[in-house]
Amino acid sequence: MDILVILFLVTGLFFFLGGAVGIIRMPDFYSRLHPAGKLDTLGIFAMVTGLAIYNLHHFSFDALLLSAKMFLIVFFVFLSSPTATHSIVDAGMRAGLRHWTKKKRKG
Amino acid sequence: MRFLGFIIVCLTGALLLYGTGEFPDWGDPNSPASIHLSDHYIEKAVEETQVPNLVTAVLADYRGFDTMFETAVVFCAGLACFLLLRDFSQKKERFYRHTPTGVILHVKDSKKILKVGKEFEHMDKDWVPSDLIIKTVCRILIPFIQIYAMYVVAHGDFSPGGGFQGGVIFGSSLILLAISYDLKTLVRRVKEKVFGIFAALGVLIYVGIGVICMFMGGNFLDYSRLAPLVPGDPHHIRALGMLGVEIGVGIAVTAAMAIIYINIVSEGRHDEGL
Repeated sequence: MDILVILFLVTGLFFFLGGAVGIIRMPDFYSRLHPAGKLDTLGIFAMVTGLAIYNLHHFSFDALLLSAKMFLIVFFVFLSSPTATHSIVDAGMRAGLRHWTKKKRKG
Repeated sequence: MRFLGFIIVCLTGALLLYGTGEFPDWGDPNSPASIHLSDHYIEKAVEETQVPNLVTAVLADYRGFDTMFETAVVFCAGLACFLLLRDFSQKKERFYRHTPTGVILHVKDSKKILKVGKEFEHMDKDWVPSDLIIKTVCRILIPFIQIYAMYVVAHGDFSPGGGFQGGVIFGSSLILLAISYDLKTLVRRVKEKVFGIFAALGVLIYVGIGVICMFMGGNFLDYSRLAPLVPGDPHHIRALGMLGVEIGVGIAVTAAMAIIYINIVSEGRHDEGL
């Protein structure tokens, strides 16, 4: 059981780390939003799954309820985070921001 | 007039600054707050007020006056936004959209007014089509946000939370509606007058509970005097009184938030924001 928890937490941390690096390293506005959106959804899903399993160590109805509530967090983040990313990209397109392209060679 | 206002602002500011000089120093061990006040709160609050949450007991009971005027300040902020920004003048240029075709008409003559109904609808210069995805998700989320806001208000006397926080969350759900659809949707759903009345009603509930306490023979905002009016365990009467006060605060803050947002974002015209 503990191994499963650790596995989920490490997966979550891995995605959070990758997302954080991506936000810094990506070249422009749109591509930076991509890791930001990914990080929020899959990272939180893995982390909360790990924590919910850990919470069920001493199984009782209360613990089960708490775990279910934790998954509500995941549900709302899954709804709101991609929507927020979508609307930010939309605003960027409307404001006329060009997307990044690799610079062409001269000649 | 503007010069007079400037002088008044400067004088008030100077007066306030002068008053700050009399304050005890930051972290002064000999100030009244450190000598007996905090200790009294920590030792006696739960015993005296029967409220499980110490912070709320201090904020809404011992310092009920302070919180009442904070609510009044929030109300005044909404009122000031309304008075300064609200613009009732008719626009000279109008935009209409022919709904079936999507053709947009720009009417420059201020006397020509098209009938808005099934065929035409109002438009604004900075109109942006609202996105289906965002609309749908916000429609799902807004009820949950509002339930959460009510939970925060109702749970204020047991756990962190209270009227101000709950009111802000509720107000932000209204603002989310205005952002995801458009401002007109919000203004159509909840009339401006309703917001104004609710902002005043919130303050009235707070003050009214205080006045009822006076009628029952106690001091202003002495919740323990409410006991004969409310059935149930008289030990919890202070918590119940605080709950009533928090509901008032929540209503006032919600309405003030909405008024401030609507007026600032559309520069008082209530047509189209953001």
